[in-house]
Amino acid sequence: MDYQISNKAKKVTLGLSAIGLVMVVLGFFHQKDYVYADYVNEHALTIRYNGDASDEMQNDLKIEMNSILNAKGYKVDFHDANHNDSHNAHDDKHLHDSHDESHSSHGFEWEAHIESNHEDEHVNHGHHEDVSASIVEMIDSGEISFFDTHHRRFWSNLLVNGFFFFGIALGALFYLALHYATESGWGVVLLRIMEGIMSAMPVGIVVLLIVFIAGSLGLHHIYPWMDSDVMDPNSSHFDKLIYGKKAYLNQPFFYLRVVAYFATFFLFMKWFKKKSTQEDSEGGTESHFKMYRRGALFLVFFAVFSSTMAWDFLMSIDTHWFSTLYGWYVFSGIWLSGMVMVMMITLYLRKGGYLPFVKESHIHDVGKWMFALSFLWSYLWFSQFMLIWYSNIPEEVQYYFSRINDYKFIFFGTFVINFVFPMVFLMSRDTKRSAGYLIVIGLIIFIGHWLDVFNLVMPGTLFDQWNFGLLEIGMFIMFLGIFVYTVLKALGKSPLLQKNHPFLEESKHHEF
Amino acid sequence: MEEKVIYAMYDDDDVLLNGAKALVAEGVHISDVYSPMPIHGIDPVIGVEPTRLGIAAFLYGLTGTMLAAIGLRYFMIIDWPMNIGGKPSFSLLENIPSFVPIFFEFTVLCAAHGMAITYLLRNKTLPGMPPRNPDPRTTDDKFVIEINASENSKHSLNEITAMLKKTGVVEMEEKVIK
Repeated sequence: MDYQISNKAKKVTLGLSAIGLVMVVLGFFHQKDYVYADYVNEHALTIRYNGDASDEMQNDLKIEMNSILNAKGYKVDFHDANHNDSHNAHDDKHLHDSHDESHSSHGFEWEAHIESNHEDEHVNHGHHEDVSASIVEMIDSGEISFFDTHHRRFWSNLLVNGFFFFGIALGALFYLALHYATESGWGVVLLRIMEGIMSAMPVGIVVLLIVFIAGSLGLHHIYPWMDSDVMDPNSSHFDKLIYGKKAYLNQPFFYLRVVAYFATFFLFMKWFKKKSTQEDSEGGTESHFKMYRRGALFLVFFAVFSSTMAWDFLMSIDTHWFSTLYGWYVFSGIWLSGMVMVMMITLYLRKGGYLPFVKESHIHDVGKWMFALSFLWSYLWFSQFMLIWYSNIPEEVQYYFSRINDYKFIFFGTFVINFVFPMVFLMSRDTKRSAGYLIVIGLIIFIGHWLDVFNLVMPGTLFDQWNFGLLEIGMFIMFLGIFVYTVLKALGKSPLLQKNHPFLEESKHHEF
Repeated sequence: MEEKVIYAMYDDDDVLLNGAKALVAEGVHISDVYSPMPIHGIDPVIGVEPTRLGIAAFLYGLTGTMLAAIGLRYFMIIDWPMNIGGKPSFSLLENIPSFVPIFFEFTVLCAAHGMAITYLLRNKTLPGMPPRNPDPRTTDDKFVIEINASENSKHSLNEITAMLKKTGVVEMEEKVIK
């Protein structure tokens, strides 16, 4: 009855990740760095940019706009608004210097004047089109923009998916430890599936490490506190608030913590797997009681690390902001996505006939967890939101401003998907026992929680310049494919039943 | 109307469950089981329908949510709008996040109380009601099966008694209830 990953499953999962990879590569070259435009009148607009673009790129942008307008029979002149200003303030040497510095960071403000190419066109003003407005629109939509040389979307997505899939593996490990620490009986038949899911933890660990190290090397600026300019009191980018958090948010301590988290989780994961295989071959209760004690020990580590990990990996993106509830909020999402994955893998293997010992009651119980954890997540989501909304303290409420202004649909959408959906569809007993229902609802919640992580990361890294396209979808299915492949592969390495678990009989007869 | 009733007492819930299964397999109708605690799996055996208490609880909860919404709208929006911490006080929708805890609490209050009262009423066990259990020991450590003669036309009482004896009863009693 040993399970081996089937060729079909191999093809589907690896194919999925291959398609995802192609989409990521295509999407990689469509990352945009937006400029901003203000409409002045029919013949004028101002274009602002405060990022980092070389003169060459700026020229290209001017040429691009000129050629668009030429096709319509217009031409455009650009004047540097800042440059004029600095001429006026010529006598003030200090001001001049600071302007120079802003120039060196390659931001700009242009005043663009649009004129008609043909003088006679003034005659037929009848079907005159407001070209200035159409240029503003093209700039707003990102049609006219720079290529994002910092690849912000790519790195942010890598963080989103790395964390999401790391979280699923961690959620499974957490539940396994909880199951041992509480000496539960009902779920013994599902423990090997949790072992399989937590075996895919290295996928997330590797990706997260890549993201962190790239951040340290300055390849992206997801974590503002990693930037030495921000921490340097003499720099123009100095940030007093972030500097105040230096005791915790500094790179040596950060990497110490990262290593501590990953080493702890990874070693516990390996240890649990080793012990359960040992129990299979040796029998007795010695391994079980060791796992019982280690399970409790793991929960102690997890209680601290799950919170600090959420602060380090996700909350420190919005470095100014803080919320003490954040760790639980992220943890509830991790646990729930882990539970959904347990459900999916169980249903898949059960359909293939590999789990004759898993009864409807077990499925029902995992369904109850999905239902209950959705409520836990919603409760924390709302608690965090309401307290900040109510107190209305500027430094706190900023976090929700950016989400509600620029991510309205995703922000409220995740709440609807992750709260209303499970409440309506998972409340009745019958739906928690029907595989079809569970797969549909599970998939929706799964994607909902991916969007939740998306919503935790993106507003702090891409601000209003986010996009949802090939890169996002491709990266998600690439990771999904790799993750599920790793899980199924790991499941094939040991029997799907822990035959010497002391509570095995209880679990086999679990019924209600 | 006179009714002949058999009370068969057991001292173990598993023995009772197996006995009940054996009797039902013979076609005996068991009208009720008295037990100090819930016996897992007895409901389908003696033909008790799945409880509808959950549906009732949901409706009580919904009533609570709506009452809270109507109440808060009247108190806090229409009758006496209060400016608390500069939060909007002009419409229910704008101010809803601050009302959610009250919605939630009132929903729970109504669902829990409604459910408890319904349960007690339905079981006729409201405080002060006469006890219906045949023997006070069923609130302690004994389990009793109740069989009504009128519901079992297929078998005579003697036949049923004989069947019961095989299932490990500790005491048996025949009563006539007027």
